[in-house]
Amino acid sequence: MSGVDETAYGFLRNNALSLVFGGLFLATLGGQAVSGVAQVNAEQRAEGLEPMALLDYVTSSSFMVDVMENWQSEYLQFFLYVFATAWLVQKGSSESKEPGQEGTESDREQQVGRHATEGSPAWVRAGGWRTTIFSRSLGLVMGGLFLLTWSASAVTGWVAYNSDQLGQRQDAVTFAGYLGEADFWNRSFQNWQSEMLAVGSMAIFAVYLRQRGSPESKPVGAPHADTGATG
Amino acid sequence: MRGTVAVLVGAGALALTGCAAASEDDVRVVVTAFEDPGGTPEERCELLAPATRAALESEAASACADAITDVPLPGGAVTAVEVWGGDAQVRIGRDVVFLTETGSGWRVTAAACEPRGELPYDCELEGP
Repeated sequence: MSGVDETAYGFLRNNALSLVFGGLFLATLGGQAVSGVAQVNAEQRAEGLEPMALLDYVTSSSFMVDVMENWQSEYLQFFLYVFATAWLVQKGSSESKEPGQEGTESDREQQVGRHATEGSPAWVRAGGWRTTIFSRSLGLVMGGLFLLTWSASAVTGWVAYNSDQLGQRQDAVTFAGYLGEADFWNRSFQNWQSEMLAVGSMAIFAVYLRQRGSPESKPVGAPHADTGATG
Repeated sequence: MRGTVAVLVGAGALALTGCAAASEDDVRVVVTAFEDPGGTPEERCELLAPATRAALESEAASACADAITDVPLPGGAVTAVEVWGGDAQVRIGRDVVFLTETGSGWRVTAAACEPRGELPYDCELEGP
């Protein structure tokens, strides 16, 4: 590793998880764009229509709705999980708090109010409405992003749906009409169900299965009945 | 963070609708020329999408300029234009015309269309 600036190496190592997933996100989004335009162009050629350029495809409503319908379900998943894990437990799961700890917990446990420390975030030390909002900021941002991406999914889905309607010599529908169409709800539900399955599976698998070294898992030797431990 | 996303989503929606608004004039011009009673058959054939032109010639077993004279294209005033992505629909006089966006501009995919309720329009001239 000679020649690597020590400060830069420290930044990369300290942020490896975010950076790797950020990179994987961009690579897979690129994969979706390339495979998506290939699929659309196969259909275009079959109908005797001209193929689309990649840039035209990634700015089209059909690409945007495919992206947005997946994003909205991910943010819904984390929004629900963040709130649900405060109030519900799964005995034995590393994803859960101990039974009996359901709820928002005491100020002492949460290090707020007079229990805030020198190192607490500024909005915790400020008190008042800032602490109230900061105490729920993770759920609020996840919920807000869900509403934004779901709305974007509705708008882009509406445009894509109407484009298909005209291509099939049928009339376009209004936005309110689209919200009542099976297309919108099918796109939503097919993504939601997979997210609910994933978090439900993780909560229960974490009781009986281990991944050595992962904070998503209990220590390998921890009893199945242990709840909330990570290793 | 949320503000940034809101701006991006807003810009995306604006781009989608903005492109549609800019295309409406182009679509209107093509359909008006296509249905112009003073237009020649050759001019109309030039405004057909390639697949629609091929379907017309195949069905009529004749050149486009001959076959298109049998299609009722009454012309009239444009009363409605819908542009969604690369597809468009125009109501002109008593007719309904469908178009697609090609590298050479908007081209007619179907014309002389009658509504059939929930079913697709019944068009005398249409591609695959």
